[in-house]
Amino acid sequence: MKALKRSHTSSSNSSSPSSSSSSSSWIHLRSVLFVVANSSPASCSSSFDRGRLKSPWSRRKRKNVLSPQQWRTLFTPEGRLRDGGIKFLKKVRSGGIHPSIRAEVWPYLLGVYDLKSSKEERDAIRTQNRKEYEKLRRQCRRLLKQYDRTYSSKQLSGKLIQDVHSPSSEEVESARESLSSGERTPDDGTVDDSSSMLLEGDNSSRRITNAGGSTLNTDSSETDSSDDAEVIRASPASDGREDDESDVPTNEEISPSTKTGIQSPVRTTEDFATWQRIIRVDAVRANTEWIPYSYCQATVSENRARRSAEAVGLRDYDHLEPHRIFHAARLVAILEAYALYDPEIGYCQGMSDLLSPIIAIITEDHEAFWCFVGFMRKARHNFRLDEVGIRKQLKIVSMIIKFKDSHLYRHLQKLQAEDCFFVYRMVVVLFRRELTFEQTMCLWEVMWADQAAIRAGIGKSAWSRIRQRAPPTDDLLLYAIAASVLQRRKLIIERYNSMEEILRECNSMAGQLDVWKLLDDAHDLVVTLHDKIESSL
Amino acid sequence: MAAPPARARADYDYLIKLLLIGDSGVGKSCLLLRFSDGSFTTSFITTIGIDFKIRTIELDGKRIKLQIWDTAGQERFRTITTAYYRGAMGILLVYDVTDESSFNNIRNWIRNIEQHASDNVNKILVGNKADMDESKRAVPTAKGQALADEYGIKFFETSAKTNLNVEQVFFSIARDIKQRLADTDSKAEPSTIRINQPDQAGGAAQATQKSACCGS
Repeated sequence: MKALKRSHTSSSNSSSPSSSSSSSSWIHLRSVLFVVANSSPASCSSSFDRGRLKSPWSRRKRKNVLSPQQWRTLFTPEGRLRDGGIKFLKKVRSGGIHPSIRAEVWPYLLGVYDLKSSKEERDAIRTQNRKEYEKLRRQCRRLLKQYDRTYSSKQLSGKLIQDVHSPSSEEVESARESLSSGERTPDDGTVDDSSSMLLEGDNSSRRITNAGGSTLNTDSSETDSSDDAEVIRASPASDGREDDESDVPTNEEISPSTKTGIQSPVRTTEDFATWQRIIRVDAVRANTEWIPYSYCQATVSENRARRSAEAVGLRDYDHLEPHRIFHAARLVAILEAYALYDPEIGYCQGMSDLLSPIIAIITEDHEAFWCFVGFMRKARHNFRLDEVGIRKQLKIVSMIIKFKDSHLYRHLQKLQAEDCFFVYRMVVVLFRRELTFEQTMCLWEVMWADQAAIRAGIGKSAWSRIRQRAPPTDDLLLYAIAASVLQRRKLIIERYNSMEEILRECNSMAGQLDVWKLLDDAHDLVVTLHDKIESSL
Repeated sequence: MAAPPARARADYDYLIKLLLIGDSGVGKSCLLLRFSDGSFTTSFITTIGIDFKIRTIELDGKRIKLQIWDTAGQERFRTITTAYYRGAMGILLVYDVTDESSFNNIRNWIRNIEQHASDNVNKILVGNKADMDESKRAVPTAKGQALADEYGIKFFETSAKTNLNVEQVFFSIARDIKQRLADTDSKAEPSTIRINQPDQAGGAAQATQKSACCGS
């Protein structure tokens, strides 16, 4: 027993870099993976053999992935999803999405497009979204220049001098308000929980912001009037991104005086300049797991990569290959825009982990941005400065384990580990570090389908008719995390005598997990514990 | 259930917990990877929350198991990472010699230590990325040394990339801590070495020690 423990510890030590630095092995694998990427879209075929990987608890029958053919038959001639998307969501929930249609399907799952929308409505939304994203990008560039100038020149207006240490606050708030200034649309009434009201306001209003935003476009902030003339002309329009870098009419400025009734965001101790710095630090060190999933991004020309990098003011990228420069530039562009869009959260490390798969699948920055916004509607709570969101989620994981397995829970208590801090990373970046790229996308899709079902109000009623099927839950991720711990209950109870050992086990799960088994187990936990957990909260 | 003290005796003579802190992107994880695994990568993804690695070294014929905790640099993770300060016997304060703000922030990090760590914790100042071209250097060696002198702590400039001084830093702080522990041991305080988990409640850490891995 003792010998076993030692040998286990030492072996996990030697393999530990895989959890946090898997990128190096990817570099070696890259050439092989390129072949895969070129011959066919990456597929989860290996995971589809999961009929053989039966969970001992599972009552669910696995279904196949949503295929491109099926996806097309789900629409009416005018381009609406039949039955409000119920069949679509059920399909995704049970089997995931074929890799070739991910870019098309994700915007529905992430709430960019309403499940009841027509083709025409979606086109309009797409156009508006694009404009709005470009507006955010223009503000980002202006702030970056302003920040640079703050330190390079003393010729500042009085207003800027006041803001020297936080050049962002006013602009950030104005951007925030402009996005919140619309009225809520009646059909988007979902609320994650009370603390997300602020963002809900944003999400529901953003579609009409441009249309209803005449107040935004009237007067411009005077200090900014010279900035637009200096906006760098970046890549040509053919690039499809950063392509509206051309000068912006000042009357598109967002006025700081646009006050609305919406509560002002909580000020963080970090400012936009800090976020800009950390975003860049993280972007250039992002790993390359996305390569096999994004052929056009992986084969980008050096010229184009460098243009994108310059357009977002990226520095210190000379050591990177073009595809990594390009990926980093896209991360910077979208994360910065998000920091402006949601200044209560701004940027927190880990958000780049969540965005990377989205930009690998979705080639247009503005579309990727809005998908990210949809993703963050729930995930943003992980990154709150007050850590309320993360604490609440760790509590739920702890409760799931407590209700499911009191023996394991008592062991955790004995080790003072019942707060489940050891799954912290899994919660924050939603299994991105523990699962492979493909597995992560499968898990997220199933999770998004649950969240979309709840958003659309087709939660319980549509599913309750089907006996013993787990109802959709906003917290599927937490059930999956609890399942991954429960799968190791024997090991934890018999061999681990400290929280450190459990943390190490959890941080070394990379490559050890079967995502569909995990989902089976998670759904099983949902069936038995969902109501109990909900009523305990 | 295994009898931990016996296992501990077989495994090492001392267990020393170290903690790496400093701004985002200064190279904490790279230093740790270099020390624990002997490797380096430029695409080192950001640390989320906290992680640790282990390396056992030998000092004066004693096996010293170093449990080295790596933390996320962003301020937002601070309340989570500070939970680990109290259990640390030594703290490595890391800045990037090409990034002046990371150096200026060292004072804030020290303030954090004063607030959250044990009073007698050993500290060491580390200026990483010393391999970078002189044109990129923003913090002269003398400035780093002066700050270290001011706080009465040791100072090294390192490069995780070229493996400059990495061993030296960890061995230096490990040696000082071992000396401190040996001194305390000789004053007949047997349970000096602790591997308790971070104390979330704060303050009670010393009272709730577990005997899981006592040193000999």
